[in-house]
Amino acid sequence: MAELTKEHIEYIIKDLNYRGIVAEGIEQEIIDHICSATEAEMETGKKFIEAYHEVLKSFGHTSGLREIQKQTLKVENQKAAIMLKNYLTIAFRNLRKQGFYSFINIGGLAVGIAACLMIFLFVVDELSYDTYNKKADRIYRVNTEIKFGGNHFKMANSPAPTGSTLMQDYPEIEASMRLGSFGSYLVKPEGEIDNIKEMNVGLTDSTFFKVFSVEVLEGNPTNSLNEPSHIAISKRMADKYFPNKSALNQILILDNKYNGKVSAVFKDIPMASHFHYDILLPLLGNWPGAREAQSTSFLSNNFVTYLLLKEGTDAKALEKKFPSFIKKYAGPQLQTALGAEFTIEKYYAAGNKFEITLMPLLAIHLYSSLNSELEPNSSITYIYLLGTVAFFILAIACINFMNLTTARSSNRAKEVGVRKVMGSLRSHLVRQFLTESILITMFSLALAVGIASLFMPMFNYLSLKQLSLPLGDPLFYLALLITSLIIGILAGVYPSFFLSAFKPVNVLKGRVALGMKSGLIRSGLVVFQFVISIFLIVGAISVNRQLSYIQNKKLGFEKDQVLVVKDAYALRPNIQSFKNEALKINTLVSCTISGFLPIEGADVSRNDRAFWKEGDQSTSDNLVSLQNWRVDHDYVKTMGMKIKMGRSFSPEFPSDSSAVVLNEAAVLQFGLGSDPIGKRISTFNGNGIEESLDPNQTRSWTVIGVAEDFHFSSMKESISPLGLFLYRSDGFLSFRINAKDSQETIQSLEKLWKRLAPGQPFQYSFLDEDFDRMYASEQRLGKIFAVFAGLAIIIACLGLLALTAFTAEQRTKEIGIRKVLGASVSSIVMLLSKEFGKLILIAFVIATPIAWLGVDWWLKSYTYKAEIGVMVYILAGAFAFVIAWITMGYQSIRAASSDPVKSLRSE
Amino acid sequence: MHSPELLKGTLQTILLKVLKDHGKMYGYEISLRVKELSENKLLLTEGALYPSLHRLEADGLLKTETMMMGKRVRKYYSLTTTGRSLAKDRVEELVDFIKTMSNVLQVKLA
Repeated sequence: MAELTKEHIEYIIKDLNYRGIVAEGIEQEIIDHICSATEAEMETGKKFIEAYHEVLKSFGHTSGLREIQKQTLKVENQKAAIMLKNYLTIAFRNLRKQGFYSFINIGGLAVGIAACLMIFLFVVDELSYDTYNKKADRIYRVNTEIKFGGNHFKMANSPAPTGSTLMQDYPEIEASMRLGSFGSYLVKPEGEIDNIKEMNVGLTDSTFFKVFSVEVLEGNPTNSLNEPSHIAISKRMADKYFPNKSALNQILILDNKYNGKVSAVFKDIPMASHFHYDILLPLLGNWPGAREAQSTSFLSNNFVTYLLLKEGTDAKALEKKFPSFIKKYAGPQLQTALGAEFTIEKYYAAGNKFEITLMPLLAIHLYSSLNSELEPNSSITYIYLLGTVAFFILAIACINFMNLTTARSSNRAKEVGVRKVMGSLRSHLVRQFLTESILITMFSLALAVGIASLFMPMFNYLSLKQLSLPLGDPLFYLALLITSLIIGILAGVYPSFFLSAFKPVNVLKGRVALGMKSGLIRSGLVVFQFVISIFLIVGAISVNRQLSYIQNKKLGFEKDQVLVVKDAYALRPNIQSFKNEALKINTLVSCTISGFLPIEGADVSRNDRAFWKEGDQSTSDNLVSLQNWRVDHDYVKTMGMKIKMGRSFSPEFPSDSSAVVLNEAAVLQFGLGSDPIGKRISTFNGNGIEESLDPNQTRSWTVIGVAEDFHFSSMKESISPLGLFLYRSDGFLSFRINAKDSQETIQSLEKLWKRLAPGQPFQYSFLDEDFDRMYASEQRLGKIFAVFAGLAIIIACLGLLALTAFTAEQRTKEIGIRKVLGASVSSIVMLLSKEFGKLILIAFVIATPIAWLGVDWWLKSYTYKAEIGVMVYILAGAFAFVIAWITMGYQSIRAASSDPVKSLRSE
Repeated sequence: MHSPELLKGTLQTILLKVLKDHGKMYGYEISLRVKELSENKLLLTEGALYPSLHRLEADGLLKTETMMMGKRVRKYYSLTTTGRSLAKDRVEELVDFIKTMSNVLQVKLA
């Protein structure tokens, strides 16, 4: 057998390399094959060179050889693991090589994702309200809508007999139950002296545990709440009052006079519930509120009624039957109250309303903001708003990535060219770039989880929630992984197709000079980022403006410097002497005892009933639904309300017990004219203003004064008619104080309280703080909005920073030459920032009308609106501009002040 | 000479079988062996041989070892355990196929 000489082999190797057979793995194999084949040919007597060419011919010469190489490489490339490893290696190298840009990409994306993650958890939590109920889809709340006598109420409450009567008439209802709150209670276990105040006390029917899936830990759910003394308490309460022993059958004393025997201990009601009762009392016996529960009157609405429908019941169809139900039961009662000529048809014809409707349990938390909600609910608007903000932030972060990648494409154009020449297919390049973007998102995601868990406490503080990252849940990680893939692909798909489309010939010749000038899309994206940023800034400023407007608006009373001592009834019978003693403290100017305060909040009383101008017939047209507040002589003075006409109550006039002070809205509504003093208004009944309606007995009050309108509920509503009556009401003791440091005064008051009401908790607050609490949810929204708007602009600016840095880098030589030719630093800074300045200006022009529409929409829900002037828009625009300018300026100045020698030396 | 089109679907089976019968072989050796077995009727082109070998290797059916021979490096292919068991299956499959084909085409095989 002929052996090839060393020289022959070297010749073959060189020749094959020359023909382009270079790929590792295939090269040597082909060499060996050709050598062997050549040797075989030489056996037949051919010379080396002839034999070699014979063999080459069988391979199909150069093109055949190349084809083999290409085919083999294709197979190699399909070895997924190896290729993926390759993609990853290259991606890592690229990230490392461009540390600054990678940092901006990863950092910006991480902050964006962290923000999204938190908002996502928030939204999930909001959406999960009341889902702990296994029968949630069959539970409905009965809402009532009444329009009558100048008032329009949409209530979560319904009349006491609604549930039981509905059940009688409609077999599709499986169970009904009521919930009611009648303020807080002072609670102590039997044998103890000190009371503790409990806020979350509710009254309910024995079917509570049947309707709601609240687990009963001790006791029998069917046997609790069915006797006057049987109460149910939460685990939390059981641990608090009866530590280390079973709470079952123990006695709790409420408000020092009611004895309740614990008949059931239930698991704490979850956070995500629209009520959070800790103590449940039965609607039986003589608990406050229990008597109303026995009432058959459809004319007062004191309870929240829930219905459990049988499976397969169509709630809408059931609802259609309710008008006839109202007519059947409420109609006769209305007729008794309003006179014989009343008919429900006439009542409706006059534009009045008396309707009950069903609201699904799961809709309550997000879609219900009626009067007399058990607790303030959230709103779907917040969900949409925050969801949009989250989406925007993510969009901005993704755009950063796209822009940076495409902007830097010129740096990678050569790489693309070389890869393509080497036989990379376009799909390989797309995969390479996608790997890079997915890798970046994965890093970002890991970082985002860190950032989110770091800032979670702050977000919880802002949002008043107890959210946490579900770090123990494998599903969470799976979701993260999928998210990073999706975001990575979303952010990477444009750059990867953009880059992989380069033609190698052009790129390698240097024809693709992709500087900042190219890229309409890139400019568009920058504009889009700043449109969002400006929009969010305007939103944040507007929300906060409206809030400060509300807080500083002239309310018609002086909310500052009023100290409110709560649970004044605990002082009984020493209330008056407490007041007298307290006023001896020289920093206390005046004091009033009343359960009625001009704010909304826990324990604040409200009471309304129908009045008419004396002498008029009491028909449905001229009735005025009047807030009647029971106050004492010092109320107007202490609250700092202004009397516009007449006078306030005074001890000098004993006849004031049948006098009323109206607000301006009431005077207008009654049609009392310009001189209302001395005119009289009437209402039913002869026995004070608290008894039930009796058409044969009316009573009248004389108007002695008119108070300037003052706000007593949320600014979302207009001021409704209100009258002040001289009656006993001992919910709160309110003091006007005149001291810079109120601490000492409070201490003296507390000492006094301890003496006159031993064992009762002393609780106080300031009226202005209570007032602010009314707008807590708006304030939260305002703050959250501001934080995320800030984040959005930071991320957008990060992108801008990198883009400017890149432009400056691209134009180093140009800047050098300009400087050599005498350009000043300022002119170069101008040159560099002009381009983006223009974009921000465009963004401003686009964002302004959008923001205006958005703000207008949000303010619609307020009756009293702050003026959102042009200044806000200009401010927002200027703010975005300045921030962007500072960002760009830093880079531009750095570029402009660099030594031209350095950049031009190599030319 | 048979048409290369006919060879396409059976190439991998042939490679597996040849390697099963002979153990370690290098590319040129394989092509020679196939030529010899088919009495010059099957010409295994290099353009089909090497990509197929690399694919089988990528699929984990073949393993390779290289041997230095002076300036030349020779790459030997042999079956892995999975390749060995698969070779048997593939051959059976092909035999079965040939039977089916003979029925379909209504011809008797010698």
